[in-house]
Amino acid sequence: MDGCRLVFTCIALLLGSITLQAQDDDSLYFQFEPDSLDLAIGDSANVKITLFSEDSSLSNNQFLITGAWGAVEVRPWISNQKGVANVQVKVFKPGSFKLSASSITPDRFKRVRGRMPITVPFPPIAKAEFIDPPRTAYEGTTIEFAARVLDQANITRQDVQPVFKSSNPEIADFDEFGHLTIYRRGLVKITVTAEGISSSTDLRAVRNPVRKIELSLEADDYRTGDVITFKARALTASGRTVEDAPVVFSFMGKAVYGIGLPASGQITPQGKFVAENPGDYTIFATSGGHTASKTIRITPRNIQKRAKLVGHGLITDVFTSDLWVWQGVGEFKERDFAVTGTWEANGEAYFWEVTDPSNLIIIDTVTVDARTVNDVKISADGRIGVLTREGASTRKNGVVILDVSNPYDVKILSEFNDGLTGGVHNAFIYDNHVYAVNNGRKYDIINISDPENPWRVGSYELNTPGHSIHDVWVENGIAYSSNWNDGVHIFDIGGLNFSEQNRHTIMKNPVLQAAGKGSPRKPTLMSSKTDTTGRNHAAFPFLSKSTGDFYVIAGDEHFPFGLGEIENMEPANPRGGYHFLNMNDYNDPVEEAIYQVPEAGSHNLWVKGDTLYTAFYQGGLRVVDISGELLGDLYKQGREIAFYLSNHKNGRMSNATMVWGPQPYKNHIFFSDMNSGLYAVQLVEYDYDEDDE
Amino acid sequence: MQQLIITTLFLILTVSPVTGRNYYIYVTAESQDKVHVVKFDGEKATVIKDIPVGVWPLEIEGPHGLTISPDGKYWYLSLAHGFPFGHVYKYETGSDKMVDRVELGLFPATMQISTATGLLYVVNFNLHGEHEPSTISIVDPEEMIEVKRVETGVMPHGSRLTNDGLKQYSVAMMSGTLYELDVLQFDISRTLFTGRKKQMNMQGSMDHKNSMKKNTMHKIPKEKPTWVYPHPADTHVYVVNNGTDNVVEIDLGNWAITRQFKTGKGPYNCEVSQDGKYLVVTYKSAAKTGIWDLNTGQELVRLKNTRRVTHGVVISPDSRYAFVSVEGIRGEPGSVDVFDLENLTLVDHAEVGKQAGGIAFWKMED
Repeated sequence: MDGCRLVFTCIALLLGSITLQAQDDDSLYFQFEPDSLDLAIGDSANVKITLFSEDSSLSNNQFLITGAWGAVEVRPWISNQKGVANVQVKVFKPGSFKLSASSITPDRFKRVRGRMPITVPFPPIAKAEFIDPPRTAYEGTTIEFAARVLDQANITRQDVQPVFKSSNPEIADFDEFGHLTIYRRGLVKITVTAEGISSSTDLRAVRNPVRKIELSLEADDYRTGDVITFKARALTASGRTVEDAPVVFSFMGKAVYGIGLPASGQITPQGKFVAENPGDYTIFATSGGHTASKTIRITPRNIQKRAKLVGHGLITDVFTSDLWVWQGVGEFKERDFAVTGTWEANGEAYFWEVTDPSNLIIIDTVTVDARTVNDVKISADGRIGVLTREGASTRKNGVVILDVSNPYDVKILSEFNDGLTGGVHNAFIYDNHVYAVNNGRKYDIINISDPENPWRVGSYELNTPGHSIHDVWVENGIAYSSNWNDGVHIFDIGGLNFSEQNRHTIMKNPVLQAAGKGSPRKPTLMSSKTDTTGRNHAAFPFLSKSTGDFYVIAGDEHFPFGLGEIENMEPANPRGGYHFLNMNDYNDPVEEAIYQVPEAGSHNLWVKGDTLYTAFYQGGLRVVDISGELLGDLYKQGREIAFYLSNHKNGRMSNATMVWGPQPYKNHIFFSDMNSGLYAVQLVEYDYDEDDE
Repeated sequence: MQQLIITTLFLILTVSPVTGRNYYIYVTAESQDKVHVVKFDGEKATVIKDIPVGVWPLEIEGPHGLTISPDGKYWYLSLAHGFPFGHVYKYETGSDKMVDRVELGLFPATMQISTATGLLYVVNFNLHGEHEPSTISIVDPEEMIEVKRVETGVMPHGSRLTNDGLKQYSVAMMSGTLYELDVLQFDISRTLFTGRKKQMNMQGSMDHKNSMKKNTMHKIPKEKPTWVYPHPADTHVYVVNNGTDNVVEIDLGNWAITRQFKTGKGPYNCEVSQDGKYLVVTYKSAAKTGIWDLNTGQELVRLKNTRRVTHGVVISPDSRYAFVSVEGIRGEPGSVDVFDLENLTLVDHAEVGKQAGGIAFWKMED
């Protein structure tokens, strides 16, 4: 045996002897005094912790004490040599925590642990207050009160239910849900209480002059999904309108299915009604014991078409990511092209000729140092392309700028990765600038007016804790970014210059009307709306041609069934939908409608005219009628025009639809499917028969 | 007969005692959101298990660092990317079932559990963020909660503890500095510039704070240290200076550089064998692995890896084999290359997922 081996053998024996000694120690246990703590936020307390031997003598074994980062602070962190610690514990957050103690020992099998519970309740309630309470109410009516509960940290507490009370239940009384019914005239004090904190307001119940309700609507043929506005007027005996009489709308219906499906729909407090299925519906308007009703017949929307497969470019060896379709320039201006990215593959992007959508051919391939080319975009003039990079072997990711003026021979003009090393997940080209989502934290704006020498002009990053961004879409000088928890953010990057050409576009769009102060160098936030799901993934602006309403359609993406599908070559099972945010008052966006396919997940989208084209992952391509006023669940209202499931037996994952993104283009709809490549479909009449051609 | 006996004894003393031994390694595929278990039987390396990791199937979350708990029951994985913070996940070895996870900072990377405290020390690498001081997260791996976060330099990487578990070392790549964390004090106790010329020697936490402020005002030091590994005797640590193509040996008693080894291009990670004899260094840019004799300070051999972008290294506890992760380029698989430290040869390799990176030794079985 050589000298080294001898030395190390001796060391091993020595350690073994130490271990033996540790194994000879009796069991140890911790004692906490007190044995639990209840503290308010910001408070501290002293705790004595002792590590005893089995015979209740001091262990003479040091130990560490830990709390929870950001929530429970402990000082000191270590006991004395005898195994006693007097620590101060300070708490910073509400919740249930543990103070942990752990003995220091080289023999991990002998490490002893102890825990003490710490409970930190939410701060006490500071205020329970009414929100815009009415001062008068008509007898015989029912009104709703809203209240807000704030704690001492000035946080609105959704978990604390306010309790409403009337001082004279014979005049007016609450149900358990905060609705106050006015029985007779008089004065009452209304009180809202939360955990012992109250505030009050006076309410005078007055004579109700309403003697009749008049209900009207615009005569028309209504289909499922049409939003019908019912106008109700509460009238006195003389026919005068009582403007402030509360009117409650309700409906009942009878569906025409012939099977056990309900007549379902939605009616808003303002009297807007939308039916989800055909049938006869009676709408009621009630106030002060007076009711009027109208019955309407709702017919099927009957807009369904079929998506007929025209062409398919099968990709089997790699996953396909995003796509972009454009018209060629110069000598290629009579031709059409597409580019698709690849995901977790070889850093390739494929360029296709799609002039004949029935014959999709790859004409060029660009390979960059990346494992994922998540996003591909082409400039509006058809000359410049950008590929995003993730998983570069140099870890320098960034974007690659291309000359696509000859799509048969695409050239790499430059790479830009300065400050973009963390990967660019999505990008957009607008007005000689690339908007690149940088490491999921912010987006950088890169000037590519000289595409061989791009340079950064600005960036935008939210300042909320733990913010993250997924995508950005730019249109008419406004950037729409999708920011997970923080929802949709709308930035002014210059808007549109006012000109005869742009005048109508600007005047129709409330956001454009106010834009113009921002720039690529200094994007200026105009509006934002947080996402109630916390998963805002995509955003697309939509100016309705039929109504003039301006929406941002915000997609949310969710994988509630977790991981392993893609990598195990099992079909994924995501969820999610699109939220229609009405931006007519962009300072106060309101979600009015939603489109979600049951048991499928939303991904990318496109709007052209009043039609929504969506990629619904395992739900395939979906084409949706979003014309007219929008309200409620668009899927249930029969607004889906067509769908296409792109599962292919020879796909990367066989027989598994996974549509990534769509683009309507010249009477066709192109879309990419992760598992099987590039598709072109066309909408045809539902009973279209190919044999008739 | 006597000769036969002598020959037999000679063979017994010199022939490797490792025939019939299986070695098990965990390795990450950072661009494929996978972890693999690789088995090496002395001749052949095989991937015996693929474990998908992360929770977002269509976003690459970037498994980066790996460590095994001292009792071998659990493995811990850092996932670099999140919305926006990364996580450390805890899995059971063997069944590879996910047990729990904890959210940490930006791009949590290298980590290790202290044998003394039982706590997990993870550097938040923040590779793609602003050049500002980052942190070391201290995690209770039983409860999977973060108990403390200690400020450190810019882009900390490498997180290795002395064998007695009392000191944790990491390097801040863009600060050019080695950081020593005293696990009983929960704070940085010493820092040291890792270059030869400017030996900045700071002791104590107050000095450490001043040191950081100075570093953030300076230009990025050219050393760019990327890894640190302690000698099994806990007398020295070895710091890999990726930017200046060397490894420096630092005496922990004197807190000074004692030797410098000029390496191949772009050294990245290193490890010292348990017998203290070998220093194995991965040369990222050169796509090679260097095996050094620590006693003589000479490089014994520089062996080509099976593909480019050499990454991490782990040595079997019997000091016989070095397992090196190699990332590969673009779509090509990564690999685990196995080097025989006695014979100084590449024995075999196993192809794994794309961008093989973090690597940890699990167990040996006879």
